[in-house]
Amino acid sequence: MPAEDHVSPVTKHNADETAAPDRFLSLQALTKRYGDTAAVDAVDLDVRKGEFLAMLGPSGCGKTTTLRMIAGLVPTTAGQIVVDGRDLTNVPPYQRDMGLVFQSYALFPHMSVAANVAFGLEMRGMAKADIRARVAEALQLVRLTGYEDRRPGQLSGGQQQRVALARALVIRPLILLLDEPLSNLDAKLREEMRNEIRDIQRRLGTTALFVTHDQDEALTMADRVVVMNKGRIEQTGTPEDLYERPRTAFVAAFVGRTNRFPGTGAGEVVHVGGVTMRCARPVSGPVEVMIRPHRIHLDGSGERRADDNHASGTIIRTTYAGNVVQYDVQAGDTVFNVEQSTDATGALVSVGTAVTLSWSVANTLVFEAAP
Amino acid sequence: MDERPISRILIWLASASFLFLLAPVLIVIPLSFSGDVFMSFPPSSWSLRWYASIGQHPKMIDAFFFSLKLAGAVTVVNLLIAVPAAYALVRLAPPGAATLMSVLTAPLLLPTIVLALAMLIVAARAGLLATPQGLFLAHLVVTLPYALRIISTALATVPIAVEEAAATLGATPLTVFRRVTLPLIIPGLVAAGALSFLVSFDEVVLSLFMSGPRLSTLPVEMYHHVESRADPLVAAISVLLVLFTLFIVIVVDRSLGLARTFVK
Ligand SMILES: Nc1ncnc2c1ncn2[C@@H]1O[C@H](COP(=O)(O)OP(=O)(O)OP(=O)(O)O)[C@@H](O)[C@H]1O
Ligand SMILES: [Mg+2]
Repeated sequence: MPAEDHVSPVTKHNADETAAPDRFLSLQALTKRYGDTAAVDAVDLDVRKGEFLAMLGPSGCGKTTTLRMIAGLVPTTAGQIVVDGRDLTNVPPYQRDMGLVFQSYALFPHMSVAANVAFGLEMRGMAKADIRARVAEALQLVRLTGYEDRRPGQLSGGQQQRVALARALVIRPLILLLDEPLSNLDAKLREEMRNEIRDIQRRLGTTALFVTHDQDEALTMADRVVVMNKGRIEQTGTPEDLYERPRTAFVAAFVGRTNRFPGTGAGEVVHVGGVTMRCARPVSGPVEVMIRPHRIHLDGSGERRADDNHASGTIIRTTYAGNVVQYDVQAGDTVFNVEQSTDATGALVSVGTAVTLSWSVANTLVFEAAP
Repeated sequence: MDERPISRILIWLASASFLFLLAPVLIVIPLSFSGDVFMSFPPSSWSLRWYASIGQHPKMIDAFFFSLKLAGAVTVVNLLIAVPAAYALVRLAPPGAATLMSVLTAPLLLPTIVLALAMLIVAARAGLLATPQGLFLAHLVVTLPYALRIISTALATVPIAVEEAAATLGATPLTVFRRVTLPLIIPGLVAAGALSFLVSFDEVVLSLFMSGPRLSTLPVEMYHHVESRADPLVAAISVLLVLFTLFIVIVVDRSLGLARTFVK
C-alpha cells in the first residue's frame, strides 16, 4: 500500500490525535527502503501514553530502523511519525525530545558521569543549579550516586548502561527508546536491569519502546509486544495474546518453544504424519500444526478431558534439565517434544517406554501452511 | 623481562639498525664542537666557536625565522582545511569519497622531485617563485595529505553512536562537533599538526626549487652553505635543530599522553 494515499494535512492530525490518548505515538504506514529492499514496510502502530511496548523480531527484521526513524536518526522513505498530535516526521533529532539508549551505551568518553547526564539539560539551556539538582536526582534513580566524577571507561557494563539510562531520562523525553540495551550484559545482570528499567519506567510514567530479539525480555517486561518479521508487523498484543493466541505461524514459532508439524486439514481434524488430531477451527488443505511441549501430558499426567487429542508412542530420548524433563516421543511418523515439570518424588520415564500423549484441542494451533 | 631467545635477537637487531641509522647523526654532535676550520672527523681540537659564529650569519637566522613562520602558518591552515575535509569525507561519505581521498593523498606517493618540478612550472607562471606565498602553497600541498590521513583515521575511531546520542539529547550538528567529535579527535589533531610542522620545517627539495636568493628556508640555506664552504657551522646548526625537533616531539608526546588520559 503506497503511503501517498495516506497523506493528510498536519492540522487535521492535530485535532484527531490529541483527542485519542491511545495514540500518544502513532506510526502511520512508516516505511524505510534501502535500494529495492524495504527494511521497514508500511508499519502502522499506536502506542498509549505511559505504555511499555516491546518490539520483538529476528535479526534484520527492521526493529532498529523503526526505532531510529522515531528518534530522527534515519530519514523515512514514506509514512508519518506523530507524537502527541505533532507530526515529527521531518523534525531533526535534536528537536524531537526522544531519549535513546543504545546497545553500545554510546556514553561520551571524555566527560564525567555527571557531565554525561547533564549534557541534555545543558542543551536545553537550563540553569547550572537546576542541572545539578536534576543530575543528582537522575543518578539516584539509577543508583549511581557517588559516581559523578568517574569517567565511563571506569565503570562496569551495567553501570555504563545505567548512566545511559539516566542520561536519556533526565531530559524527561516524550518517549524512551531502548535498542537492545541489555544484550551486552551477562545473564544475571540482564535480569536485574530488566526489573530496574521496568520499575523506573513505571515510576516515571514514561512511554517506552523497547527493542529486543529476546522473547523472554519482551514477554516479561512489556505491557504489549509487537512482533516484527521482514519489515512488517506480524502481530501486536499483550504477552498472553501472543503466547496463547498467536495469529500467524511465525508468531507461534517465534514466541515460546513449540512443536511444529506439517499436516493436512480435513474439516474438524488434521492429519499429521500418522496421527489424527482435532483442532479448534475447521481447516482444509496443507496446514502447520503447533503444540507447546509443556501443554502435552504424558500418560495421564495433568487433568484429562474426554475430548482431548491422543497419540500413542515410544520415548526415544530423555533430557533432564533440573526443573523440567524433555521427552522426545515417536508417535507414528511424528516426533513430539514433550515437557514435564519435575518433582522430587517423580521418576524419569526411560527411553523405550510406551506412552500415551494427550493434549487439549485448545492447545492444538493450526495455521495455513506458508506457500 | 622476556627471556625468549627470539625476542633477544630482535632487540639486538633493532638496536643495531637503530645505531646504523643514527650513527651519521651522532657524528654531527662531536663535529659541531670542532675547533677546526674545515669539517673533518675526528676534529683535531674542540671549541664552541661554530655555535658562536651562528650569530654572524644573519641570512641563516633570517632563514630560521622564515622557516618557523612558514611551518607555523602551514600547520594552522592545514588543520583548518584538513578537519572539515576529513569530516566531510568520513562522516558525510559522499559518493566517491574513497577516490577523492586517494587523489588528495596522492602527493604522499609521488616522487617529491616530480612534484617540485611541477610546482616550479606552475609557480613560475603565476609569478609565485621565491615568494612566501609560493613556498606556503607548495608546503601546504605536501603536508595536507599527512594531516588528512591522520585526522580521517582519528574521526573514523569516534563511534557514530556517540554523536547520535548527542543529537538526540538536543545538540545541533555544530554543537555535536564542538562538544563531542572535536574533543575526541584532539590526539589526532596534535599529531597531524606536529607532523605538518616538522615536514614543512624539514622540507628541502620543494623549497630548493621554490626559493630564491632573497628568500630561502633554513634547510636550503644550510645546503647552500655546505655547497660553498665546508666549515662545521652547519653541524652546530644541525645539533640545535635536532634539539628543537626533539623538543616538539616531547611536547607532542606529553600533550598526546595528556589527551589520552583525558579521553579514557
Ligand atoms: N544503512 C543501511 N543500508 C542498507 N541496508 C540497511 C541499512 N541499515 C539497515 N539495513 C537493512 O535493513 C534491515 C533491517 O535492519 P535493522 O537494523 O533495522 O534490523 P534489526 O531488526 O534491528 O536487527 P538486529 O536484531 O540484528 O539488530 C536489514 O536487512 C539491514 O540489512
Ligand atoms: Mg537492531
